[in-house]
Amino acid sequence: MSLLTVSQLEAGYEPGLSIVKGASIHADKGEIVVILGPNGAGKSSLIKAIAGIVPVTGGSVVLDGEDITAVPAHLKIRKGLAFVPQTENVFPLMSVEENLAVAAGVFRGAAAPIEEMFALFPDLARQRRLAAGSLSGGQRQMLACARALIVRPGVLMLDEPSAGLSPKFVEQVFARLVEIRASGVTIVLVEQNARAALAIGDRAYVLVEGREAHEGPAKTLWDDPLIAELYLGHRKEGVQ
Amino acid sequence: MSLQFLLDGLISGAMIGLGAIGVTLTYSILRFSNFAHGDLMAWGAYAALVAVGVVGGLAGPIAPLSFGLPLILATLFAMGFTAGLALLLDWLLFARLRARGQAIIVVMASFGASMALRNLLEFLFSSSPAYYSRALQIAQPVGFGIRITPDQGALLVMTVALVTGMHLFLTRSQRGREMRAYSQNPALARVTGIDVSRVVRTTWIIGAALAAAAGVMVGTLVQIRPLMGLDLLLPMFAAAILGGIGSVPGAVLAGLIIGLSEAAAVMFIGAEWRAGVAFVILMAVLLVRPTGLFGVTER
Ligand SMILES: Nc1ncnc2c1ncn2[C@@H]1O[C@H](COP(=O)(O)OP(=O)(O)O)[C@@H](O)[C@H]1O
Ligand SMILES: [Mg+2]
Repeated sequence: MSLLTVSQLEAGYEPGLSIVKGASIHADKGEIVVILGPNGAGKSSLIKAIAGIVPVTGGSVVLDGEDITAVPAHLKIRKGLAFVPQTENVFPLMSVEENLAVAAGVFRGAAAPIEEMFALFPDLARQRRLAAGSLSGGQRQMLACARALIVRPGVLMLDEPSAGLSPKFVEQVFARLVEIRASGVTIVLVEQNARAALAIGDRAYVLVEGREAHEGPAKTLWDDPLIAELYLGHRKEGVQ
Repeated sequence: MSLQFLLDGLISGAMIGLGAIGVTLTYSILRFSNFAHGDLMAWGAYAALVAVGVVGGLAGPIAPLSFGLPLILATLFAMGFTAGLALLLDWLLFARLRARGQAIIVVMASFGASMALRNLLEFLFSSSPAYYSRALQIAQPVGFGIRITPDQGALLVMTVALVTGMHLFLTRSQRGREMRAYSQNPALARVTGIDVSRVVRTTWIIGAALAAAAGVMVGTLVQIRPLMGLDLLLPMFAAAILGGIGSVPGAVLAGLIIGLSEAAAVMFIGAEWRAGVAFVILMAVLLVRPTGLFGVTER
C-alpha cells in the first residue's frame, strides 16, 4: 500500500471554482515522485491542498492508512506530512536558527536537534544568526527544507525548489534531495525543471488542467516523444 | 527653563508605549486596527479599582508610595480580568467577523465594541473621576530641576520590567516565536505546525494584560475615567505606526518619543497643542516613512 494516496482531489480558492479537478496521485515509501505540467496546471494548488492550505471540496488524502483530508494544516505536519512552498518559505525577520527553533518547538521531544540540520546543511550553520530574509536564494531553499525536515516527516512535498536558482545551486538542491530520500523520506516534487527532476525521480505525473494526464516511470516519461513535446518543452530527435 | 517636562513626557510616554504594544501586536497578528484597545485599558483600570475596594483592607501603603500590596494584587487581577474580557470579545465578535475575511468590517466592529465598553463603564461607575488613593505624593528633586514622585518612579520601573519581559517572551519563548512567525507569514506558520487559534489567544491575552497595566498606571498617576482609554487611542496608534507595525521595542520607543513631544509642545507652544502632536507625528510618518522606525515593507 502507498504511503500517500490522493484520490479524486478537488480544491480551489473560491467556492464553486475548482482549480484541482479530481487529481489522483500516490507515493510509495522511499519514492521520489515528480509532478510536472504546464504553467497554471494547478501543481502548486494540488500540493497546497494536500498540505491543507487550499480548501478541499472533494476527494481524499490518505497518509499511512489514515484519512487526513479534513485534518487542519497545522496538525497534518504532526502526522508526518511536511511541505515546502515555492516562495515565501522562510520567516524573513527571524534568524536562521529561530526559523528552525520555532518549527522544532512545535514538536518538542519528537523533533531533530537544530545541530542535526546544521550538519545536513553546513552552509546554514555559518549563517545561523543571520535574518532568513537576507539569505541568498539557494540558502533560503536549504533553510526551507531544513525547517520541514526538522520534524522528521515521512513525506516531504516541495514546490519547485529549483525555481530562480543558478544551475550550480539547482544541482546542489537536487543532490540533497537524493540524500534525504536515502535517509528514508518519501519525496513529492513539483518541478518546472523537468530534466533535472526526472533524473532523480522514480515515477512522474504530468498534471494538466487540474488532473493527472500521464503517469509513468520518470525515465520513460522523459523519452516519451508525445509528452516531451507537449509538456516538457523539448523535442526528441527523430520525431516528426 | 525647567526640565520637568522631560519627566512628564517620559511618564506619559511609558503609558502610551505600554498601550501601543497591544495595538501593534493586534495589528500585525490579527490584522486589524483595534479601536477598542483604549477601552480595554479603561476596563483594566476600573477592574483594579473594584479589586482594591475588596482587598484594600489587607495592608496599608508601602511608604513612600501612595499604594501597597492591595493595588499590586488588584493590578494582577485586572490584567487577568481584562485578558478574559478581550477573549470574550474575540469569541463573541471579532473571531466571527475575521472568519469572513474583510478587515474593514472587523475594524468597524471594534468601533462599536469601543462605544459599548465605554458606555457600560459610564453606566456602572458614572463619568466622574475616581482614584485608587487620596494620599498626597511629595515630589522629590532628582537634579536638573526635575522632581519625581515615588509613584512615578515605581511605575516607570514596572514599565521597564513589563517591556523587558515582553521582549524576552517574544524572542526567547516558543509561544513568542510562534507569534512572530505567524505575523510574518500566516500560511507558512500553519504548515510549520503552528496552531493559529493559540497564537490569536496569546495575542489577546498579552495585549489586554498590558493595556490593563497601562490603565492602572494612568489611574494611579492621573485619574480613572471611562474616557481615559479613548484619550490615549490616537497617541497609541501613532506610536504603533511610528515604531513600525509589529515591533514591540519600536512601539515602546515611539511611545516615549510621542510622550516627550507632547510634553515639549505643552512647554514651548501651549497646552492646547498637546492633543495635536500625536496627529502631526502620525501624518508625518505616514507621508515620509510609512514603515516606521523598525518596520519592514509589507509583502
Ligand atoms: N491564491 C490564489 N487565488 C486564486 N487563484 C489562484 C491562486 N493561486 C493560484 N490560482 C489559480 O490557480 C490556477 C493554478 O495555479 P497554480 O496551482 O499555481 O499552477 P502551477 O503551480 O501549476 O503553475 C491558476 O489559474 C491560478 O490563477
Ligand atoms: Mg506553481
